[in-house]
Amino acid sequence: MTRVRAYFLAQLKRTFRLAFPQLAADILICACVGLLSYLLVAQGAFAAGGARYRIGMVGDLSDSYLGFGIAALQEMDDSRFMIELVGMSEAEADEAFEKGELYAVMRVPDGLLESIVSGGNDCLITYTPAEGSKGLGTMVMGEITDIASTLVTSSQSAIYAMQRMLVEEGRQEEVGRETDRLNLSLINLVLSRSGFGEVELLGYADGLSMELYYFCSAVLLFLLLAGLLNCVFFARRKEALWQFLKAGGVGAPWQVAGEYLAYLCLVGMGLLALCLPLSLLLERGIMVVPEWEGMGAAPFWAFVGSLIPVTIMFAAGQFFLFEAADGIVNGILMQLLCGIGMGYLSGYFYPSSFFPERMRVLGDFLPSGAAARFVEAGLFGKAPAAAVMPVFMYTAVFLILAAAVRGRRTGREWLW
Amino acid sequence: MMCMAPLFAAGVGRLSQGSAGIATVALYLPEGDETAAEISERLLDGDSVLRYLSCGKEDEARALVESGEADAAWIFAEDMEERLGELAERRRVRPVVTVVERRDSVPLTLGREILAAAIYPSYSYAVYEGYVRGALGMEEASEEKLRAVYESVAVEGSLFQMVYPDQTPGETEDYSYVQAPLRGILAIWLTFCGLAGALWFMQDEERGVYGRVPMAKRLAASYGACGVFLADASVVLLLSVKLSGVFTDWKKEVVSCAVFVLCVTAFVNLLRLLCRTPQKLGVTLLPLLAVMLALCPVFLNLQHFRAGKLLLPPWYYLQSVHNVRYLYLMAAYTLVLAALGLLLQRLLNRRAG
Repeated sequence: MTRVRAYFLAQLKRTFRLAFPQLAADILICACVGLLSYLLVAQGAFAAGGARYRIGMVGDLSDSYLGFGIAALQEMDDSRFMIELVGMSEAEADEAFEKGELYAVMRVPDGLLESIVSGGNDCLITYTPAEGSKGLGTMVMGEITDIASTLVTSSQSAIYAMQRMLVEEGRQEEVGRETDRLNLSLINLVLSRSGFGEVELLGYADGLSMELYYFCSAVLLFLLLAGLLNCVFFARRKEALWQFLKAGGVGAPWQVAGEYLAYLCLVGMGLLALCLPLSLLLERGIMVVPEWEGMGAAPFWAFVGSLIPVTIMFAAGQFFLFEAADGIVNGILMQLLCGIGMGYLSGYFYPSSFFPERMRVLGDFLPSGAAARFVEAGLFGKAPAAAVMPVFMYTAVFLILAAAVRGRRTGREWLW
Repeated sequence: MMCMAPLFAAGVGRLSQGSAGIATVALYLPEGDETAAEISERLLDGDSVLRYLSCGKEDEARALVESGEADAAWIFAEDMEERLGELAERRRVRPVVTVVERRDSVPLTLGREILAAAIYPSYSYAVYEGYVRGALGMEEASEEKLRAVYESVAVEGSLFQMVYPDQTPGETEDYSYVQAPLRGILAIWLTFCGLAGALWFMQDEERGVYGRVPMAKRLAASYGACGVFLADASVVLLLSVKLSGVFTDWKKEVVSCAVFVLCVTAFVNLLRLLCRTPQKLGVTLLPLLAVMLALCPVFLNLQHFRAGKLLLPPWYYLQSVHNVRYLYLMAAYTLVLAALGLLLQRLLNRRAG
C-alpha cells in the first residue's frame, strides 16, 4: 500500500509539473472561444438586425411588378425579419459572395415576368448558396424558395382561372381590370397569411431554452475533448516502468488508479479554468442565459456541481482511450473521432431532436448522451436513477477496461 | 485505427435514413374533409425539414406538445372549408388552424410559413371562387365548372432552382442534413491525421531516428513522413465520404482530396516548425479544433471571419467541392505555406548552427 501511495504521489507531482503549461493551454482555448464569441457579437451576428440573411439579387429588377414584389417583401412581409434582399450587379454580387457577405445570390433571368404572366414558368430564378455543399442552411433555403414558389404559382392559377372564366363568358374587355383587382387582393392575402392560424404558446414546459441547451453542450464538448488538451500527460509513458512497478507490488489496477486520479486533477483544473471566466461573465450580465437571468452566477455553480460526475466519467473514458491506443499519436486520433462522433450523435452540435429515432436512441445510450441526460436532470434539480446510474456505470467500465489493458501489457495476468 | 472513420461515416449514413426534422409537428386534420386531405397531402409529400406525427384526435396532438414529444401541434378546424371561404371573402376572420407551441423558435417560425404555404393553394382557390361568384357576378357557375377551369390552368412546378457555383443543380445531392456535416468532420479528421504525423515525426526526431538526415533536409523528410501518413488517410477519407452518402463524382473528389492532402502536409509542417516541441504542438490541438469547428462550414456557416477561414485547409476543401476557384486558391495557399515552411526551416537551421 505504501508503494501504491508513493506511486500516486509521484503522478500527482507530475501533474503539478504539467499544471502551468496546461493551465496556459486551458486559458488559450478559453481565449480562442471568447475571442470568437466577442467578434461574432461585435460584428452583429447575434443582433436582431445582423441575424438577417442577406441575399444578393442579380438581374433586371426594373420591372414595376418585380420591383413592387421585392419592395412589398422588404417593407410589409413577415419574411423581412429573416431575409434582406439587396439588388446588385453581377460583379458586385460576385465580390460580396467571395467576401462571405452574402448568404446566397439569386439570379433573376431576363423575361421572368413574361414567363410568369404567360403561365409558362420556364424561366427559373437560380440561387447559389454560400455554403460550399448541401447542408442545413441550403435545405432551409430550399424550403423558403418552395414557399415563395407555392405562393406565386397558386396566385397565378387563381388569376388564370378567373381570366378563363371571363373569356368563356365573352367579357374579354374586363380581363385587364379584373386581373389587377384580383392580383391586389391576392397580394394582400399573401402578406396577411399569418392570419390563417392562431398561435397558443404553452411556455417553457420541461425543456431547456436554446441558449441554455447550447451553453451546456459547449461545456460538455469541452470536457469530452479535454483529452486532446491534456494529451501531454500521456506522452513518454514506458512499459518497462509499469513492469517494474508490477514487480514491486503495484499491480495494473493500482497503477491505473494512481495515474487516473492524477489525470482527473488535470481535467478538473481545466474545468475550473473554464468555469471562472464563465461565472464572471454571468455574474456581470455580459453573458445571458434566459433561465438564469437576474440570478447572478449561483445557478451556474449549481450546474458546475452536476458536471463533477460527468467530468469523472469523461476523464475515465479519455484515460481508457489513451490506454487502449498504441501510442500518443493514435490516442489523439481516437480522442478526436470518438469525441466529435459521440458529441454529434448525442446532440452537442445539432439538438438531438433533429435526428431520426434510431440515431437519438444511440446518442442517448453513449457516454456523451448519458452525460447530457445527467446534466439536464441536474438543471431541473432532479437526480433520477436512470440519469445517475449510466454515468457511474460508464466510469467503472472505462476504469476496469483501462486496468485490463494495462494488465495485459504488463504481463499475462489481466488484472492482479 | 483507420477503420474508425469509415465505420463512423457509414454508421451515421445508415442511421440518418429514418424520418427526421428540425422540429416535430403533431398534425390533427378532420376526417372526411377534402380540403384537409389536400393540405395533409401537401405537407406529408416529399422531403421536408419538419417531421410530422399524424394524430387521430385534437387532444392527442396537444398532449404530444405538452409532453415534449412534439414541438408544435397544428390543429385544423372541423369546418375548415367553410372558414377558408369566409376568410377568402373577408366575411369573417376565423382562424383555419390552431398552432400550439411550447415556445417560439426559428424552426417553428419557418414551420408556420410552411403551414401557410400548404394552406395557400386551397385558399387561393377559395378566393378565385368567391371572386368569380361575387365580384364578377357569376353566381350560377357550378362548383364542377369552377374546379375544372381552375385545374385546366393550374400552374405547377417551382420557380426556383438551386445551383452551385460550378453549375451543378442542387437536387443532384440526395442526402439529408443529418449526413451533411460528415464531410466536414472527415476533413477535420484528415487535418488531425496530418498533425498526428507531424507529432510522430517530432517524437522520432527526439529519439534520434533522423540523426543521419542533415538539418537542411529535415523538412523534406518531414514532408515525406507526413505524406506517407496522409496517403493512407486520404484513401480512408474518400472511402468514408463514399460510405456516408455525400460523395459527388470520382474526378472531383480525387482532385480535391489530393490538393487537400498537399495543403494539410504544408500546413502541419509549418505548425510543427512554429511550435518546435511535441508538447507545444499538442497544446494547440484543441484550440485549433475549436477554430475549425467554428469557422469551417461543418455544422454552421458563419458569414464572418473571412481572414480566419482563409488560414484553415478544411475550409478550402469544403468550398472546393462545388467551386473550382477554391481548388486553385487551396493550391496557391499550399505554395505559400510551403514557402513559409522553407523559410522558417532555413532560419532555424541558421540559428542552430
